[in-house]
Amino acid sequence: MKKAERILALMLILGSGLSSCAAVAPWERGHLAKPQMALDPHPTQSTFREHIYRGREAAGGGGSASGGGCGCY
Amino acid sequence: MRALTAAALALPGLAQSPVLAAEGDEASFQYGHYKEGTRQLFGERSKYKPIEVDNLSGSGSITLFDRWKLAFDYMQDTWAGATPIATAPLALGGNNPQITGASPLILGNGTLLYDRQLNPYRFDLETGNYSKDRRLVHTIASASPETRRQGNFRVGYEWDEAALNLNGGVSEEPDYQSSFANVNGRWDFNQKLTTVNLGLGYTHSDISALLDPDASAYFDYSAYSKQIDTVETASGVPAHTLRGVRQDWATHLSLTQVLSKNALVETGFGYTRSTGFQENPYKVVDFVFVDPNQAPVDLGIPGLPPLLAPEVQAVLEQRPDVRNQWLWDARYVHYVESLDAALHLSYRFYHDDWAINAHTFEADWGQPLGGGWTITPRVRYYTQDAANFYRPYFLFKQAEPRGSGGQLDFARVPVDRYSSDHRLSGYGALSGGVTVSKALGKAVRLEAGFEYYTHAGGLKLGGGGEGSYADFDYYQFNAALKVDLSAPFLTGDDGGEVHAHHEHEEHLGGHAPAGVMFSHMLGKAGEAMVGYRYMYSLQDGDMLHGTDPVGDAAIVAHGCGGLGCSLTPREMSMHMHMLDLMYAPADWLTLMLMPQFVDMEMDLRQLEGGVVDTGDEGGHHHAGGAPRHVTGGVGDTGLYALFKLFDAPGHHLHAALGLSAPSGDVDLKIQNSEFIHYHMQLGSGTWDFRPSFTYTGYLDNWFWGGQLNGIKRLESRNDSGFAFGDVFQSTAWGGYYLLDWLSATVRGVYTLQGMVKGQYNGPHSQSGPMDFPGNYGGRYWDIGFGLSAVVPSGTFKGNRFGVEWLQPVQDDVNGYQLERTGSLSATWSLTF
Repeated sequence: MKKAERILALMLILGSGLSSCAAVAPWERGHLAKPQMALDPHPTQSTFREHIYRGREAAGGGGSASGGGCGCY
Repeated sequence: MRALTAAALALPGLAQSPVLAAEGDEASFQYGHYKEGTRQLFGERSKYKPIEVDNLSGSGSITLFDRWKLAFDYMQDTWAGATPIATAPLALGGNNPQITGASPLILGNGTLLYDRQLNPYRFDLETGNYSKDRRLVHTIASASPETRRQGNFRVGYEWDEAALNLNGGVSEEPDYQSSFANVNGRWDFNQKLTTVNLGLGYTHSDISALLDPDASAYFDYSAYSKQIDTVETASGVPAHTLRGVRQDWATHLSLTQVLSKNALVETGFGYTRSTGFQENPYKVVDFVFVDPNQAPVDLGIPGLPPLLAPEVQAVLEQRPDVRNQWLWDARYVHYVESLDAALHLSYRFYHDDWAINAHTFEADWGQPLGGGWTITPRVRYYTQDAANFYRPYFLFKQAEPRGSGGQLDFARVPVDRYSSDHRLSGYGALSGGVTVSKALGKAVRLEAGFEYYTHAGGLKLGGGGEGSYADFDYYQFNAALKVDLSAPFLTGDDGGEVHAHHEHEEHLGGHAPAGVMFSHMLGKAGEAMVGYRYMYSLQDGDMLHGTDPVGDAAIVAHGCGGLGCSLTPREMSMHMHMLDLMYAPADWLTLMLMPQFVDMEMDLRQLEGGVVDTGDEGGHHHAGGAPRHVTGGVGDTGLYALFKLFDAPGHHLHAALGLSAPSGDVDLKIQNSEFIHYHMQLGSGTWDFRPSFTYTGYLDNWFWGGQLNGIKRLESRNDSGFAFGDVFQSTAWGGYYLLDWLSATVRGVYTLQGMVKGQYNGPHSQSGPMDFPGNYGGRYWDIGFGLSAVVPSGTFKGNRFGVEWLQPVQDDVNGYQLERTGSLSATWSLTF
């Protein structure tokens, strides 16, 4: 899978880049702790939206087993 | 998403430190509604309403011990409406809007012709002429309403710099049952600036899809002959059930990195391998064979080229049995200090070996507005290529290959994998919406969201998408209530040991049995309460006339108003989910809002010696000859005021006055053609007055109470032409504190309900007693056994739980009705 290899390479490059990020001390992490800074600030809503997308779009597989049923409509 | 949430929690600052683990404890309830727009049918008006879905979900997350987390999620969807079953040239005439209750003409009306270049020609009924018409159109069919339920549990353990989560659950619907499990690990390092998540999941699904009996005579399912069970039904229509098994293995690896004090990024890679039955069992594919060697049809119309008559076959779709799926995703979150806002950007690339590549771009902006308000506008773009076995329909320049019996010979059809499901077509989708959230104090948060979504072939990245005939749109909205279980709650004392019953008695009504509504007020001005009330009721006893069991012959002769019955209910069940929101603006007044979500299921059986059901009672063929109906969605909404009338040590009396607003539907139909049985509607359809008087008392460890309540319909007819009967109920109970925090109750109930007034003002089912207004209401006696508890100390101090089973003692029904089996009530509440 050429594409998969390319993606993996990109991830590695990105990952190695990240390790050189400046250290952020614990007392400097106030902004990161704000609710709007969560990776998913509204998880129950996201679950509902993703459930609909999964029933309507082909690219549903998310890399986890989450139920969701057939969506056969 | 769960993985992402876990990753979010893993972030420094967001992470729950083990010492304060209870901070993440939360209960949430959410309602969502999805509605599609009408499809483009080129002037042919389909009688079917598009798909609508009502979704209810609830979840809870609690800390058991310092490092153990337990969480559960429950979700149910009820959906009904019409959806494409196939795609065909408009010239085929596949949509059949004229005849109510009839199936779509998936094989067409027999007038389609092609020229030698394989352009379709359409017959114009008005002019009698043929004209070239290359347009395609979906063939729309009504899907039988269904309810899906899903529940799952998670258990997790946290170390200082790692976590392990196990998660498993089941999803159940009549035609599709899944069980799934995940294991997910998280590691923090680099002083918690970097987090890695790795997850592995497995899903097993059993498919048992009943093929539409009205349509299955017109499509070829012989390719699945080894997977189909056929049952002859009492009405003579054979029922075919298609069975299959599917397995999915999925893994996802992600990395989250804090970039600066204002930014973080997450990126991940996922792989899913799906094997087994991956078809949509309700989609058919039109095969059109045009034999170039046939003698052309000469219509004698000047200017018309020689036209060829096609042979049309509809077959169940066939997808590959294996699908390997890869995805890469990345998201970036940036804090904009000057506005106290957060920008979220994300991208997702998906690839599978069905030749589908998909890209998803999303952006949102989380903007706090002060006063606890946050507004988050969002935009999303999605684009995908078509699967390599997708075509809107399959056109072959050859005669139809037939076997010795005249049937389609699949071995000589040039394709062996084929689907016309528009989800596998090439298209793009643009959507946008907004989420608004409002914090009420420290404990409660309300969230509401809206999204509009448009799917169009013309939006596909790079062009070449499906034609505009397949375009559609939808909107969805949702509303959620979240309660932070670790916020300080009222427990009625100033700490230390809780003397629950003393506290309860001060609480103006306290521990009445779980099945009693309006049983207590809030104690002081400014208090608020959030509660959840669940009720399940079941009827599956004998058919009764008055108080006595009655045989089929009497039901056939008298149960349907002289028309003769064909069916009778065998089992009826109802689930009600209610939110119980209370606020006390004054010591003597408590206001109460009670939204409801209901779903119901009725199984019917053929009556011995009954009138033959012609099959025109749309939907009475469900589930292999055991007719079954399902409905569900938002019910009526209660708005009440509770007034304190008398309060002295040991005695309390209050009155509740209120209205039930008709927010539940009363126009639900069977397969979009006939009104469903009266009590399968979701509400009353009328504004109802609901008064009650409640007395409670206590002495030492004993307590007791009584209530009179009623429902008076304020309108004589709802929009569908009927009104349910008024209700009067009286109940009395006694209870004893077994422990400081646990009490038991016994109560008696008498209920009187009138019959349905008026009747449906449109076509409605008249197949059984449940379709006639005189067979509603009656006089009922019940005895109830209940337990109530309040958590006396610890993290969940102040949480109240109640459960009660109501056992029928006697039913004295109007007309002919199914005997009640019992009902269960369960409640939870928290005052703060």
